[in-house]
Amino acid sequence: MMWRNYVTVGLRALTKNKVYAFINIFGLSLGIAACLLILTYVRYEFSYDSWMADTDDVYQLQDWYKATARGDEEMKLQVTSYASGQALKKDFPQIEKMVWLNTQGMTILHNGQAITPTQGAVADGNLFDILKIPFVKGDPHHALDDPNAVVLNESEAKKLFGDQNPLGQTITLSFSKVKQDYRVTGVFKDLPKNTHLNISLVARFEPSQLFDARNLASWNNQNGPIYVRFKPGTDVKAIEAQFPAWEKRNIPDEPGAGPFRNPGEYQDWHLVNVRDIHLGEAQRAALNPNGGDKRTILTFVVVALMILAMACINFTNLATARASQRAREVALRKVLGATRGQLIAQFLGESVLVSGIATLIALALAELALPALNAFLDASMEIHYFGADGILLPVIGLALLVGLAGGLYPAFYLSRFQPARVLKANKSAADAEGSGRLRNLLVVGQFAVSIGLIICTAIVYGQTIYERTMDAGYKREGLMQVYALGAPDAERVAKTLQEEVRKIPGVTAVGRTTIAVNPGNNSMTDVRRPGQVNPINLGIYGIDPGVVPALGMRIIAGRNVSETIAMDDAWTPQPPEIEAEKALVARGVNYVLSESATKRLGFPTPQSAIGKPISVGFTIPEAGGQVPGTVVGVVSDVRYRSVRQPIQPIVYYYQRQGYNQLLVRFEGDPKTVRDRVEAIWRRMVPDVPFASRFVTDIIQTLYRPDERRAQLFGMFAILAVVIGCMGLFGLAAFTAERRTKEIGIRKVLGARTLDIVRLLVWQFSRPVLIANLVAWPVAWWLMRDWLNGFDERIALTPLPFVVAAAVALAIAVGTVTTHAVRIARTSPVKALRYE
Amino acid sequence: MLRMRNLSRVYRTDTVQTTALDAIDLDIVDGEFVAIMGPSGCGKSTLLNMIGMLDSPSSGSYLFGEQEVAGLGESQLADVRKANIGFIFQSFNLVDELSVRDNIELALLYHKVAPAERTRRVDAVMDRVGIAHRARHRPSQLSGGQQQRVAVARALVAEPRLILADEPTGNLDTQHGEEVMRMLQQLNTEGSTIVMVTHSPAHADYASRVVNMLDGRILQERRRAA
Repeated sequence: MMWRNYVTVGLRALTKNKVYAFINIFGLSLGIAACLLILTYVRYEFSYDSWMADTDDVYQLQDWYKATARGDEEMKLQVTSYASGQALKKDFPQIEKMVWLNTQGMTILHNGQAITPTQGAVADGNLFDILKIPFVKGDPHHALDDPNAVVLNESEAKKLFGDQNPLGQTITLSFSKVKQDYRVTGVFKDLPKNTHLNISLVARFEPSQLFDARNLASWNNQNGPIYVRFKPGTDVKAIEAQFPAWEKRNIPDEPGAGPFRNPGEYQDWHLVNVRDIHLGEAQRAALNPNGGDKRTILTFVVVALMILAMACINFTNLATARASQRAREVALRKVLGATRGQLIAQFLGESVLVSGIATLIALALAELALPALNAFLDASMEIHYFGADGILLPVIGLALLVGLAGGLYPAFYLSRFQPARVLKANKSAADAEGSGRLRNLLVVGQFAVSIGLIICTAIVYGQTIYERTMDAGYKREGLMQVYALGAPDAERVAKTLQEEVRKIPGVTAVGRTTIAVNPGNNSMTDVRRPGQVNPINLGIYGIDPGVVPALGMRIIAGRNVSETIAMDDAWTPQPPEIEAEKALVARGVNYVLSESATKRLGFPTPQSAIGKPISVGFTIPEAGGQVPGTVVGVVSDVRYRSVRQPIQPIVYYYQRQGYNQLLVRFEGDPKTVRDRVEAIWRRMVPDVPFASRFVTDIIQTLYRPDERRAQLFGMFAILAVVIGCMGLFGLAAFTAERRTKEIGIRKVLGARTLDIVRLLVWQFSRPVLIANLVAWPVAWWLMRDWLNGFDERIALTPLPFVVAAAVALAIAVGTVTTHAVRIARTSPVKALRYE
Repeated sequence: MLRMRNLSRVYRTDTVQTTALDAIDLDIVDGEFVAIMGPSGCGKSTLLNMIGMLDSPSSGSYLFGEQEVAGLGESQLADVRKANIGFIFQSFNLVDELSVRDNIELALLYHKVAPAERTRRVDAVMDRVGIAHRARHRPSQLSGGQQQRVAVARALVAEPRLILADEPTGNLDTQHGEEVMRMLQQLNTEGSTIVMVTHSPAHADYASRVVNMLDGRILQERRRAA
């Protein structure tokens, strides 16, 4: 009976003031919906690869490079050397199965057509015994037993065979220097989006067919991920603890003198459970470059909780502000015998009721927003209500928690009223000074969050724009990269192809290269100057003379590489032949350095490096490992990789063949040029599918995660501002009501509408201005930290801070002005009769 | 000072139409002390609000000095009001958050008076009504009589031509009520024009003219023998 009374009074109190109800419920709904979506996203991020069965004992062997004095940068790889896998298998009998995987740019030849699979890979064993990816056809346990077995995902199978049964069908695979027939032995389900894997085709292959023995024995050639299934119950931590001793036992010194001769000195190995790869520390050389970042996720969680807190603050604020209207009810209930406990229960119950309604609306909002969020994040999140990952119970918990958190202060505050005073005064005792101060403090808190988020959004956006437009050492516009030039069919005609492409109208330069923008490979080697004991680690790549004009690099000193100077040509047959390698060492090679490489090698100026001897770790150990040579040119630095990584200092060399990409510099319509290049490619290399990308597109993809983050921050900022403004709007309404009498007096004394509006607007602008003092240092500190993660970054100027302050103030003023005008216009007669 | 002709004020809601003032003719000359009397709901306060330009007539003419104010907009009315009229209310209507001094000064804030001049005038008017010793107190710390003295001071500080008092003694005990009435009489003697609404015949006796109202009309006017 009592409860019915409470609910009735609660609902009526709510509906009595519609603005109050709307702000309270809808504001809270927004907060809860944002919180729900973010928590769904967080759970999704943690769900990566947990859809695979039986993953407790499945690990990836990862190779982490340490930063060293000779110039190695820290690099945590999801791949490792073939040798490390073999050594692991040899020393740890706890290993049940191990498979080495290697992704390849592949071409499928079938029925006279050349098709590029989404992502082809080769494996040296039955991958599906370790990674239990569901099969549609075939036996996962024996699918890759045969040396010429290939397994496709459903999409590839459909693409190749339509409705025919793919099992037993034969296809030809062409990759690297291999062209071989394969029999389809299985079809696996298309992988869901929440996986670190990116494979649509897996072919059985012996590593020795792809890499020579030296390469496979090297601990410095990280040529693919290695997956291990341990025997059930294996203590993997204990195995990792033995790694230092295992490294000592197994890793041989590399040829040459000086420190860092043993790869164990600058590399560490780690076993990472397959479910933890996505959010793991190592994110480089990932199969799927969508790696998560725990820090970002944590940031989102914090922001989500802040937004929820803001909505709760509105709740508390409006409830105490409204207290004056409930004071008489409280007094009457007390006179009629209600205890303080009962009143607290009543008010807490009311706020739980409100948060319950808000939660229902929030669920609807979350469901409505989820498809858009999925599209935005390229994710496949779902909201389940029941079951192990059902959100129903957590959501009920959240509603209770929010109701209690938001209702606690008002409940204690309202129940404290002394009936005699309230009833006698015929007005509220609610306008205690303390509550006004608390409300202001909470508004300060809300706007501090809003302003902070606006600042972060501005800076993150600024940085993403900078990333896409900064001087990267080459011209982004009018540059196309053509891939697969290293495929045997293409390599044979590469030079002619280059000359044909050069003849296309609008094409101004064409270069063959082993490095291009956003390279998938990273090739590094030791470089020494005579007498230098400690080698310097530099990137090493081959370019032909066309690359410098194609990229738009500047020659700072000396000259470009040349096709006509014999000493420039560093080509030797592949796989390496000992005599040819020795001849190269005896003859020497001319090198071109990047500007930063000259600094690293200790040359005072680029000019001073010209004509100086260096030796480069550029050949097999049997031939001595080092190829001596002369610096003939210095070119400007090029930022091939993300702005998050430092610019790589590079030693360039020329070789007459052995390139894998073509750089095409052009003017005019990109599509026309691409179509022409494609036509030439199709004519000259019909068996290798044409693959090309414009550098502007590559850059956009490269920085998409940063841009997405900026957009997310922007959304959060908007949400925070909306919720903050809703609160301010409500508060303005109540304050205006509370100050009706005062405003009436002021008007009688001659105040114009404008004077009153100014008075009210100032009252609400003050906390917003104070909020800056809180938001600015926090945002400055966070953003400085974030920007430090970039090798090149925008300066942290006062501009975004001032703009954020101005935006917040403008929005706040806009929000309260309507109220202020309305209140200021009411006749003072009404206001003064109020009492 | 003012002349009302055929002045009416009608309040309309969806269903009811109430005539608060019905074709009022009223003249008030400089230096008069007019008391308006009548039962509750007869239109006294409406008439006072009309005189004070806090409310606008539905029809009729209202000349304040030489100026017709019946059709003026809100901010023009505010200008005429603040230049000419001071108010004293039954419930004092002081701002709780402000001190006595600040409450009085409030009336000058909207008059573009220089700060030094403001201080001088507030000090002078506080002395005049005998509240100077309470300058720093808040209204809630004062007795009813003291609060009304502050309200009177506030009405006087802008040096208005006309003071309107809406039952200025209604919330006061007899002693404090008499005190306030003597103060108003003194002001009138010094030249202020006063219009006062009151229920008390005794207090009406302080006025030079008494206007009796009933149902929105002026029933009779009676001048006190000089």
